[in-house]
Amino acid sequence: MVNGKMIMDSERPSQITDNRLRFDSFQGSDEPLFPSKKQRLPAMGWNSWNAFGSGNNEELTKAMIVKIKELGLDDFGYKYVVLDDGCYRPERVIGHLESDPVKFPSGFKAMADTVHAAGLKFGMYNDIGTKLCSGAEVGIYKHEKIDCEDYINWEIDFIKVDNCYYMWDNATFADPENAIYSYAPNIRSITIAGSTYSAVNDADITGTRASVKDDYVTFIGTFDGTAPDHSPAGNRSSELVFEVETDEPGIYELVISYATGKEEGVGRWLQIAVNSDVVFDDMLPETESPESFTDSAPIKLKLVSRFNRIRIMNHRRQENTLNSYTEIRKELENFGKDRDIVFSICEWGKTQPQNWGHLVGDSWRILNDITFQVGADGNNGTAAWESDYTTSITSQYNKAVIMDEFAGLDKGWNDPDMLVIGMDGITETMCKSHMAMWCMMNSPLMLGMDLRRVNKGDWMYNLITNEDLIALDQDLLGIQAKRIFTTIKCEDPSNEYIRDNNRVDVLAKPLDNGDVALAFFNLKNEEHSARISVSVDQIIGFISNKMSKSVVENFKNASSYQLKDLFTKDCKESSDKTFSVDSISACDCVVYRISLVA
Amino acid sequence: MTREQFIKRLLEVFGEDNEDVFSKGLENGWLEFEDKLYRDDEINRKNIARIIHLYLLKEKGISDLKDISKAAELRDLYDCRVCANHVAQVYLRDIMSAKELSVNGRFLWFDLNGEDDSAAIEDYLIRAYGITMNAQ
Repeated sequence: MVNGKMIMDSERPSQITDNRLRFDSFQGSDEPLFPSKKQRLPAMGWNSWNAFGSGNNEELTKAMIVKIKELGLDDFGYKYVVLDDGCYRPERVIGHLESDPVKFPSGFKAMADTVHAAGLKFGMYNDIGTKLCSGAEVGIYKHEKIDCEDYINWEIDFIKVDNCYYMWDNATFADPENAIYSYAPNIRSITIAGSTYSAVNDADITGTRASVKDDYVTFIGTFDGTAPDHSPAGNRSSELVFEVETDEPGIYELVISYATGKEEGVGRWLQIAVNSDVVFDDMLPETESPESFTDSAPIKLKLVSRFNRIRIMNHRRQENTLNSYTEIRKELENFGKDRDIVFSICEWGKTQPQNWGHLVGDSWRILNDITFQVGADGNNGTAAWESDYTTSITSQYNKAVIMDEFAGLDKGWNDPDMLVIGMDGITETMCKSHMAMWCMMNSPLMLGMDLRRVNKGDWMYNLITNEDLIALDQDLLGIQAKRIFTTIKCEDPSNEYIRDNNRVDVLAKPLDNGDVALAFFNLKNEEHSARISVSVDQIIGFISNKMSKSVVENFKNASSYQLKDLFTKDCKESSDKTFSVDSISACDCVVYRISLVA
Repeated sequence: MTREQFIKRLLEVFGEDNEDVFSKGLENGWLEFEDKLYRDDEINRKNIARIIHLYLLKEKGISDLKDISKAAELRDLYDCRVCANHVAQVYLRDIMSAKELSVNGRFLWFDLNGEDDSAAIEDYLIRAYGITMNAQ
């Protein structure tokens, strides 16, 4: 019962019968979840959201297609035209999705045909929940088969799947009390084979999410990564682990002293594993409050040796979401085996998708949106350089920049959201750094401006078609840059989550031909006038494990280097073993491609 | 108040013809098809915010406030990516106000899915009208 209502089986998260969807398999299993998943470079294209929000329509989309062709943006790699939220009829028709009859009167297949006729690729949008973020009651949940069949019939090439109205987490518009599914109850002790073990004194807490409160352990679950409050690095989930010794292997009864809640930090769903075997995965009966402890019914455990690790946990926040995305991908593959579809996960970093996104998707959003002030026809929308929340270029960058180890050709890409180039509120210089950051970080490059505002030779055109920058993003080696230096004092620039923008960062990125891209980003709103240098050894020290031995040796022992400034296109040769910039303007950057001369 | 009643009243307050309200709003982009489809449903606060904001923007030329950071004091502002700007614009222009909650401390929230009575809605419309008067 929740709030006096019975939770029916159909309203509960599915049972997980495939161990590849379990937390313990996130780092890989013998059999991949989707063997067909391709290695692909970050997607590039135009998405309707930042430009027009819910106001996109057929006429505007066609105008964008015309401009993509007129500007030749597809020749630079911008191939996908993606219809974001706001394009569907707000209710199903005989169970099927349909286009909004006012905005897209010709329907989605006609739109797809128009996109394909222009030699471009067609993308669409949906949500893993019951409704779309716009409120349209056409979420894909429980309609996976029929919707995916329609998507295949419409010949989509890309799908962005959002996370609104999700049933099993407190996502946007979902019930905050869905925390019952995403956190374990508070745990005071366990009793097994006649011995009682205190959660506080006798167990280890893994990770940093859980903590001790009075005589119990709380927050057993996974950090919510939607807001920028928490680092993405390290173990984002906590378990309570008891080392239990018994006289002999056998069947034992486990009783848990617990208290349930329905808020971030304390829930009702409990998972118990003995070593790596999950032996219990279900909801416990509700208690009066998160501090009124009761004993569970005995839970039978099979202990196969005398020494056992009993893990009290709840990884369902991640597993449920992965499961929901997996259902969609399965059906897309089922109906369109030969169709090559980019699968863009957009759950806003909520469930730490950097841990599991690679199993099912080609990219995963890392935070909530980069702007909530999207444009409309005649309105550029507004973006920001910095903000306390996710709504700025630097908020997204600050998190993505330490997530390089999660990305790669064999995995997929961190997605710090679509480009905001061309929106109000940010300068050309900020846009320049924004583009360079996204390219250094191998982010998907989805343009988000009204392309009718872009003309060949203007600053927006020159920036989004900077082939040298795009070449970094699309480099075949597929290695996201690593932060190798920052002017803020820290122990490990590659791994430390830094949100103070009063700094300059240096990023290094190995490239397929043996070159190295080196970028200096001034995040401050004032000029940085002191010289910043990084040495060849420093670069090698951070990224040599991403390069072949011979490339490392060649780079290290070169007697001379060519540095190409990827904005000015100036080239200079240097025999120095350090690379420097003497000053960087406010919010500006310098990006070099370093090649060996001799 | 239903969506249709709200839209009609909006047009009345602004002294406009309120016949065939949907086609005009849909054509000019300040209504969504769902407003027509669910015309008899009670209108909630996020939809009131959306319609007032878009009506002011598209019919009355009231440009958006660029800095909406103060609206972040609404605890639920970013719960809704599609309506955050609508909410921020009507909140910062003092057309619609926040609600106050006392749960683990006091905080403001917009109550996106909440509903208001007719008197409150009338007040919003009069304030919205006042914005256009002041802009002239």
